[in-house]
Amino acid sequence: MISIRHLSKTFHNPDGSVVTVLKDVNCDIEKGEVISIIGPSGTGKSTLLRALNMLEPPTSGEIWVDSENIMARGYKLDKMRRKMGMVFQSFNLFEHMTVLENITYAPVRLLNKTLQEASAEGMELLKKVGLAQKADVYPESLSGGQKQRVAIARALSMHPDVILFDEPTSALDPTMVGEVLSVIRQLAKDGLTMLIVTHEMRFARDVSTRIFFMNEGIIYEDGTPEQIFEHPQRSATKAFVNRIQKLVYEINDDSFDYLQIQTGLNRFCIKYNIPEKADGAYSIIKEMLFEHLSDIRPLTLRITHADLSGETALDFMVEGLTESPLPHNDAVQAIRSQVKSIIEEPTTRGFRIKIILK
Amino acid sequence: MKIRINKAPLFLFSAVITLMLLSCGQDKASSSEMHSEAELSGHTVSTTAGNYYDNKYSAREDITMFRVNTEADGIQAVRQGLADVHVTDEVTFTPELRRQLGIRLAFKGEEAFDVAFAVRKGDDQLREQMDRFIAQLKADGTLDAILSHWLEDTPAPGPVKGGEPGAPTPLRCITGVSMAPICYIGEGGEWMGMDADILKRFAAWSGRTFDMKFQDLGSAMIALSTGQCDVVCACLYITDERKKSVDFTQPYYLCRAGYFVVDKESTSQTGFAERLKMNLVTESRWKLITDGLWETVKITVLAILLGTLLGAGVCAMLRSRRKWVNKTVELYGAFIQGIPTLVLLLVMFYVILASAGLSGTVVAIITFALCFAWSSGSIFSSAISSVPKGQTEAGLSLGFTPFRTFTGIVFPQAIQKALPLYAGECVSLLKSTSIVGYIAIMDLTRASDLIRSRTFDAMIPLLVITIAYFVLAWLIRLLLNLFLKK
Repeated sequence: MISIRHLSKTFHNPDGSVVTVLKDVNCDIEKGEVISIIGPSGTGKSTLLRALNMLEPPTSGEIWVDSENIMARGYKLDKMRRKMGMVFQSFNLFEHMTVLENITYAPVRLLNKTLQEASAEGMELLKKVGLAQKADVYPESLSGGQKQRVAIARALSMHPDVILFDEPTSALDPTMVGEVLSVIRQLAKDGLTMLIVTHEMRFARDVSTRIFFMNEGIIYEDGTPEQIFEHPQRSATKAFVNRIQKLVYEINDDSFDYLQIQTGLNRFCIKYNIPEKADGAYSIIKEMLFEHLSDIRPLTLRITHADLSGETALDFMVEGLTESPLPHNDAVQAIRSQVKSIIEEPTTRGFRIKIILK
Repeated sequence: MKIRINKAPLFLFSAVITLMLLSCGQDKASSSEMHSEAELSGHTVSTTAGNYYDNKYSAREDITMFRVNTEADGIQAVRQGLADVHVTDEVTFTPELRRQLGIRLAFKGEEAFDVAFAVRKGDDQLREQMDRFIAQLKADGTLDAILSHWLEDTPAPGPVKGGEPGAPTPLRCITGVSMAPICYIGEGGEWMGMDADILKRFAAWSGRTFDMKFQDLGSAMIALSTGQCDVVCACLYITDERKKSVDFTQPYYLCRAGYFVVDKESTSQTGFAERLKMNLVTESRWKLITDGLWETVKITVLAILLGTLLGAGVCAMLRSRRKWVNKTVELYGAFIQGIPTLVLLLVMFYVILASAGLSGTVVAIITFALCFAWSSGSIFSSAISSVPKGQTEAGLSLGFTPFRTFTGIVFPQAIQKALPLYAGECVSLLKSTSIVGYIAIMDLTRASDLIRSRTFDAMIPLLVITIAYFVLAWLIRLLLNLFLKK
């Protein structure tokens, strides 16, 4: 359906410097595939997507869509784009139109539908994304998540063969990521061909039929979710998929503002989609800091979460100790029963108590 | 979208009108007793700027000059006590007019001046023909009859006999004054007064049509030298200085200066209703206002339409990817912005378009359109830039061509942002059309000048056009808001 050969893209900055974002990208995309494009920032994921529908014309290479070279001179790009929808990071809804007008605008003008047909179909699409009651409001009154769902409905209104998602949840408040991802999940179930640039690892693993790991301007590793996440072949891929999110507090004495731990923890849990762990984690932190480790200062608290395994841990690290500061009493036993495990181990600079949450 | 009309300006506006009404008719003059030119020392003398008396007294350190633009302003100055005495040609104020205005002739000047028509330097054919005509009028007594008809209200003489019929080209005249009994617009919009009468008779005598315009004397002289008119009249004195730049015909009148002061005995206190009647109803003067209004509306609307069209070009050039195109149009903007609109208007009329044979109205429309092109073009350009790039990308990604993306998605949003500023520019264009009187267009402002020069009442005509301009500005905003709603 889509073939990319030796695609490269070079940017010339106003200051004269030259940046090569895409070096040599090659791939074939078949109908019905759901492909997530992951990788560190600045490796050309978005650029590849935008090159695909020529919003960002490539420097060299070939793109074949339905056996036609879309980079050929005189090729009718607008016709091709009707078959290739796009959902943007910043939504880009038409601010001067109501939600329903956003969705009916293109089908009426480009697919020669009557306004009645397009409106009826638009209402169906809005129902699908759960926003039928917002049909007549202007986008400015919608939340980010609602805007993105409308944008998805707008892309669907043209009945495209494929939809490109350019980091659809990156501009969203963490509380709104879920509603957008579940809409995309539903589309994947319906068998729509999709290319998704995303940072949501678990989502990518669950929803995709195939993963592109991009690094250094090329598709560094290409495979099924299992191949990429469970058995990555190359070390950069391995490091990326196993990376761990961290939140660190240095607690030097009791003038420390403990409340910031609570708010920080809440945000962290929402961001990595584990809001159910927030309350339990906070009560354990409180008990450790104010009871079992109340006279141990300074200490370092580190909250970690591994994207892919979903393992969340609390590390309490004290410098200069060689033995565990944790008393062996009933209270600590009670904690032990609430969590997956408690590991007490010396480190090069001191001692660490690692509590892995359930 | 709901149209909101801000009421605050309406309140402010009524306050201004009330203030004007309250201050009307409060003459603050203190009349001074004077009997000869020798007694002028230590007094403030008002006169029309640049005329003979201005030159005569400017050098005197013991006399303060109060220069005004029209005789009407001079009388106003004397009545308000800004000047002690107003000096002008004695014929300017007939005894009847003096009574109405509450002024009297304090004394006559000692010098006497020959009065003649000015023609273009070197236009000997016309000058000699006019000389023959004036000589004939003098010989058969018609000239005296014409003068006494206008100055003393005797019956008008019959038509001039004989003639030298030639090609029926228009005799293009400009008068530097608009005032009875010299030259003014009377009943039915006809030009009247002794100068106009003589010129009309000459036109008929030489088989030409008659065309008269009113402009300040300075511009009239420029128009004469650039060939935009044939004769200038204004009860013109023959002076050596003027002879350097124009040729004079035979004198047709001997004029003395008149020194006018406030008449303390005058009891002429006219009521408001009577003043309204005098300024608007008498001689159908309201027609001057409606004609002027039409002219102002015509210039404003056509300049907005043409200017917006040109503005689209300016906008396209500002947004062009070619550097030299941007630079060119920016240079144009710097040029338009750096020159006062009035100066640009005069340059267009007397220099650039002088030989194009266009009417003043057309020149005014072109000039204002050129100014408006820049302001509307730059407004639209920045409004388009302010629409996020994502809107274009969204349009393209749905399958619209770049052109349809612009017209259907980007442009409507830009319009919404630009319209308030655009409406402001339209209103400011309307206001700046008040200068077109300088190129002899009878617009709203000039209409009030004309009425003022006949009635010597500053308040009523100004009040009327103030309201007219305000309503026009309000209508422009209303119409544009309606347009936005669509």
